[in-house]
Amino acid sequence: MFDIIAVDISGRHKVKDEYLMVCASVAASVTADHIEKVNQVAIRSFRSNSAPDILYVVKMVEDTVSELKFSGTIVTEAGDFYNKPQWLIDNMFTHDFKYQESLSERRCIEIAHHVSLSSRKLLLKELGIQ
Amino acid sequence: MMRAILVKRNDPRSEDEKNELQMNELRELAEAAGYSVIAEMTQTRHPDRKYHLGRGKVDELAQIVADLKPDKVIFHNPLSTMQIYNISETCRCETIDKFQLILEIFATRATTHRSKLQVELARLEYELPRARAVISILKKDERPGFMGLGGYEDSYAQDVKNRMIRIKSELETIKKDNESLRAHRHSQGFSLIALAGYTNAGKSTLFNALVAENVESKDMLFTTLLPITRSLDVQGRDVLLTDTVGFIEDLPHWMVDAFRSTLDEIFLADVVLLVVDSSEPLEIIRKKLLVCHETMWDQLQDVGIVTVFNKTDLISEEELQECMLILGYLAPNPVAVSAKAGSGFDGLKSQMRDLLPEWKRVTLSFPISKEGMSIVAWIFNEGFVHGVNYDNGISIDFEARDKIISKAVSLVEKLSLALFL
Ligand SMILES: Nc1nc2c(ncn2[C@@H]2O[C@H](COP(=O)(O)OP(=O)(O)OP(=O)(O)O)[C@@H](O)[C@H]2O)c(=O)[nH]1
Repeated sequence: MFDIIAVDISGRHKVKDEYLMVCASVAASVTADHIEKVNQVAIRSFRSNSAPDILYVVKMVEDTVSELKFSGTIVTEAGDFYNKPQWLIDNMFTHDFKYQESLSERRCIEIAHHVSLSSRKLLLKELGIQ
Repeated sequence: MMRAILVKRNDPRSEDEKNELQMNELRELAEAAGYSVIAEMTQTRHPDRKYHLGRGKVDELAQIVADLKPDKVIFHNPLSTMQIYNISETCRCETIDKFQLILEIFATRATTHRSKLQVELARLEYELPRARAVISILKKDERPGFMGLGGYEDSYAQDVKNRMIRIKSELETIKKDNESLRAHRHSQGFSLIALAGYTNAGKSTLFNALVAENVESKDMLFTTLLPITRSLDVQGRDVLLTDTVGFIEDLPHWMVDAFRSTLDEIFLADVVLLVVDSSEPLEIIRKKLLVCHETMWDQLQDVGIVTVFNKTDLISEEELQECMLILGYLAPNPVAVSAKAGSGFDGLKSQMRDLLPEWKRVTLSFPISKEGMSIVAWIFNEGFVHGVNYDNGISIDFEARDKIISKAVSLVEKLSLALFL
């Protein structure tokens, strides 16, 4: 069994002159093809006037993950870091980091994706945006 | 067995190692399509517009063809219609390129109606840009009088387009026949196990070895329906074992749907055996496993996966341990076997057995009604019925997966509840 933290960010496009992003992190214990247990979920929102560059994405991920009680390797889609090579991104993190590989890692990111999407939707609604 | 000569043009300044890998892949594909390779030829040069290779090299090829009389000449490089025409004419032998070879493999492995349509669609997609060229070649070389039929050239390409449109609309209308196929086979009391993995991992060898061990076989029913499916006894459970097309790297986009459709067998299996060649370098095994996960992950629900580390006879015990340890996070339920030496099968079988969905036998009773009859029909589809009695209401004795039984029970409960209201 492995401990991972699957992370996904939604809202990386401009709405009303700014970027309103939600980062969701899912701490889970997985085998190669199963999610054995989802241990905890943490979400955070970020506002920015410009499109997030790689360093900003790293910061969003680290900030969000720091709210979790559980540890594990951070897993994301390569697209979240503009498909840059894994070793390059890995060097920018203080935590263990890698791109998604196994079935279970992909499923966890799917969960993170739904969490970030729906919480961002709620946020926009509460703020009266859109 | 059909015999083939393989041909490859290498780009000048390309790496030897890469060229060799590509030739290996072509050889594996040809074997997977059922050819025995009787000769191979390469030339390093820029492509010739008319012959792809140099004219002299094609004459040399023609001589080899005359001597060895193969059924086909297979090129690694994509060929234009004119090149195919010129080479076939010079060599007096049918000539195809790698894409046509892959389409041949897909065609033999497409089992469902949907996958057959997908493969046909990919074939037409391949043909379309060539449809025009075929006609102009015929006009020029063979049929001087052909010019009179001016409109035919367009109508041929149009015909291909029309067929593509028709197939696309049919694909949209047929719901995936997966569910009914799965139901059909479950109804015979079989669970489904599919072999998956890259070409050359040893799927066919493992398939044959597992089937050969099985003395008594009840194949008749399925051999005609599914050419690469055999029944098998796994520690007291009847299963159907299906071989599938191996994963192939770098498919052009218009082939991807056809490829995925040949994987239907995987997506409707109860257990998937993911076969890897453990004698390859770790990094290559990792990449291949990664592609398998990537291809399957969102369509595989509720399916057990066994990762079969094959060809263990080629590596040491230490190498095997290291490989299984490092790749553990990508290798669900790992087992080590040698399909060739026949070792490790007991472990493989108990792993399969563990992952097969449980079947139980129950008897349910409920009143005769239209709804009751539809429950009976549903149970016939999903389980194996031992007997139905209509004397005093319906009483049905059947075997099915756990899930099916719970669903049947809740359907029956709903039915009796409705009667009270
Ligand atoms: N040494 C060794 N060789 C094996 C073993 N299993 C398969 N092979 C060899 O590996 C090659 C490929 O085996 P196949 O069974 O044809 O592989 P496949 O995965 O079915 O490949 P395709 O039919 O091309 O999809 C053959 O030459 C086999 O003899 C094994 O356990 N040990």
